[in-house]
Amino acid sequence: MERSRPSSPTHSPTEYAKGESEDFSALRRLLLSPEQVQLDRLRQRLDTFVIGPQEVSRVLPDAIRLRARQDNRLLASMLPITQEALALSIKQSPQLISDSIAPILGAAIRKAISRAMREMLQSLNQTLEYSMSWQGLQWRWEAWKTGRPFVEVVLLHTLRFRVEQVFLIHKKTGLLLNHVMADGISSQGEAAISGMLTAIQDFVRDSFQQGQDEGLESLRIGDLTVWIEQGSSAILATVIRGTPPVKLRDFLQTTLESLHVQYWDSLQNFQGDAAVFLETRPHLEDCLQAQFVKRRKGLPVVFWGLTAFLLALLGWWAYQASLNHQQWTELLKRIAAEPGIVVTTIQEEGGRTVFHGLRDPLAVDPERLLEEVGYPPYAAGFHFEPFIALTPEMVRKRAITVLHPPESVEVSIEGSRIILMGESSHGWISKVIRSAPAIPGVSEISLERLVDTDVKQFESLQVELEGQAIFFLSGQETVLNRELVKIRQVKDILQELDTKAVQLGRKPSIYILGYSSPVGSQPTNMSLSERRANKVLEILRETPFHVLKLFATGKGVDPDVKFGPGGGQRYSANRRVSFRVVEPGISPRGEVGAKIGP
Amino acid sequence: MIQKKICMLGGFAVGKTSLVRQLVSGIFSEKYLTTVGVKIDQKSLSVRGQDLLLVLWDLYGDDDFQKVRASYLQGASGYILVIDGTRKETVDVAWKLHELARKAIGPVPFAILLNKHDLVDEWVVKHPMISDLSDQACLVSMVSAKTGEGVEAAFFVLSEAILKS
Repeated sequence: MERSRPSSPTHSPTEYAKGESEDFSALRRLLLSPEQVQLDRLRQRLDTFVIGPQEVSRVLPDAIRLRARQDNRLLASMLPITQEALALSIKQSPQLISDSIAPILGAAIRKAISRAMREMLQSLNQTLEYSMSWQGLQWRWEAWKTGRPFVEVVLLHTLRFRVEQVFLIHKKTGLLLNHVMADGISSQGEAAISGMLTAIQDFVRDSFQQGQDEGLESLRIGDLTVWIEQGSSAILATVIRGTPPVKLRDFLQTTLESLHVQYWDSLQNFQGDAAVFLETRPHLEDCLQAQFVKRRKGLPVVFWGLTAFLLALLGWWAYQASLNHQQWTELLKRIAAEPGIVVTTIQEEGGRTVFHGLRDPLAVDPERLLEEVGYPPYAAGFHFEPFIALTPEMVRKRAITVLHPPESVEVSIEGSRIILMGESSHGWISKVIRSAPAIPGVSEISLERLVDTDVKQFESLQVELEGQAIFFLSGQETVLNRELVKIRQVKDILQELDTKAVQLGRKPSIYILGYSSPVGSQPTNMSLSERRANKVLEILRETPFHVLKLFATGKGVDPDVKFGPGGGQRYSANRRVSFRVVEPGISPRGEVGAKIGP
Repeated sequence: MIQKKICMLGGFAVGKTSLVRQLVSGIFSEKYLTTVGVKIDQKSLSVRGQDLLLVLWDLYGDDDFQKVRASYLQGASGYILVIDGTRKETVDVAWKLHELARKAIGPVPFAILLNKHDLVDEWVVKHPMISDLSDQACLVSMVSAKTGEGVEAAFFVLSEAILKS
């Protein structure tokens, strides 16, 4: 500002007034000049005042702190901007945010996963460990009886201690700040329980006139223990099953102290909003500790027993499998070798092996084969169509079935020829001759080596008869008493011969041949011999025969009997009657027969 | 969720426990009242969009108010004075309990519940008797623990007052 100069003493009133004003101004300038300068400068600064970053930077930290103490308006104002800024930052450079939170988030996730895995493995381990032992079986029985899960029963028996619940309680109000539970634990009314724990403490404290810092440290009900750690502003109550170690108490106390340090302000200013204490969860979860009874090393006897049983079972199974294979192989071999059975296909049907093919009705029953080789009947079945097999074995079998040969006859097959060997009755041989050609596969019968027993007996009787002789005294035809016995024997032979001839269908003739000694003339001897033959014929005719025909004839002197000096006996041997059997068309035995004629 | 501790105060047999029972089915037996002197229950409410968990301390009622443990009142955000409308003497007990509470926890919101409204014909408690007290209360309400009339509304109003304070 520019200072005005002083005026002259002679002036008009106006000039005077003007001069006075100037004087005043001058005076003012003289008196207040320095202050005026300062005021002018301040006015100028105020007129042109702009708050610069430097000024703000100086006051900003203190301003924020002061305002945050007063109320939440600053926080409310900054919240949307901060959120938008954060969102924009994540959008523009996600890596930066990711890198920033990774150390915290990674550790938290690892911790949570490792905790969950540890608990799961522990539970699984215990369950597996005890499920194989005798004790495990007892507990399983207990679980079944009480209707509780097996894992829970195992836990109850193997637990040394386990912190099941942790309550962080505001000391003054008894309100719950935070609460965590172990897996599998259910709880209700945590806030009420928290209040009740505080009330009980107050009750005990008041009842026994203890100071505010004193308090109930422990409650015990059955297997449950409640440990209460006292802090100046908060209480840490833990519900523990089993017998906890003392060092756990130290850990709980340390945790509570740490929480006091970390949340001091929040604890002091707590008005019922426990949101800020949600962050205490990791600390409280660290208190959920557990310790289990250590099992002695070594596997339980039941395990070994079970293993031995399983091995025995495996051995038995292997043996059965091998046996089954052997039986199957044997069955296949037997069926393949069995005459009269032709297998076309083998199929699995309804869990068993079924053989399809052809089977001669006379072939062996396949069910019997199963039985013989020991193959289980339920594992195999047969579906065979009937057919006639022409193999030698089956032809022989069929021949035996049709002919019913006696035991003395052996039947064999050569090509299409049936060979019979041994002995049999004349009737059976006749049947063979009739029936055999009708048997399938038989075109020829060989009987060469088959003896007809009836013919044999007939011939035997013939020989016996022809060996008989009835003797007479010299010159006589009277039958002596002693010779009558022989005639009776002859009669018996003749009866048998008659029966046999009937069986054989033969009609033999019996010639009674009379002889005499050479003593005397030939005509006399011829006549005598004829009388002797007739005499015997007469006696024999007393017995009737079916087919035998008896003829008597005198033969005179027997030329086969030689006579000479001293041959008395030979003479008597010629005074006799002999017998010959002659059949039509069959040569009589010996020379005699040849001589006889009709 | 914000938690608030509320104490139930009143003389013998005024119906405190029955009023709480109208509100919640608790987990603790009523024998706690005669042994420990308190039974605690919790009740969730939503008051003007704010989720609230009321922790109700039902203090054992004895006409000798000195038996009430003042320590149980510590940290309470409000309390309810229960008066039996059919018994005049319960008003005096309520007064004394109110003074006890004021001394222990200061001027916090409280409600006066005149119980047994279902027996209104037998009522002997008249409004002038409680006028001094009701001037300070955030709510004076006639309720019936028997029928449940007015019970939940009373807790709601007290909760509102607590949140405003």
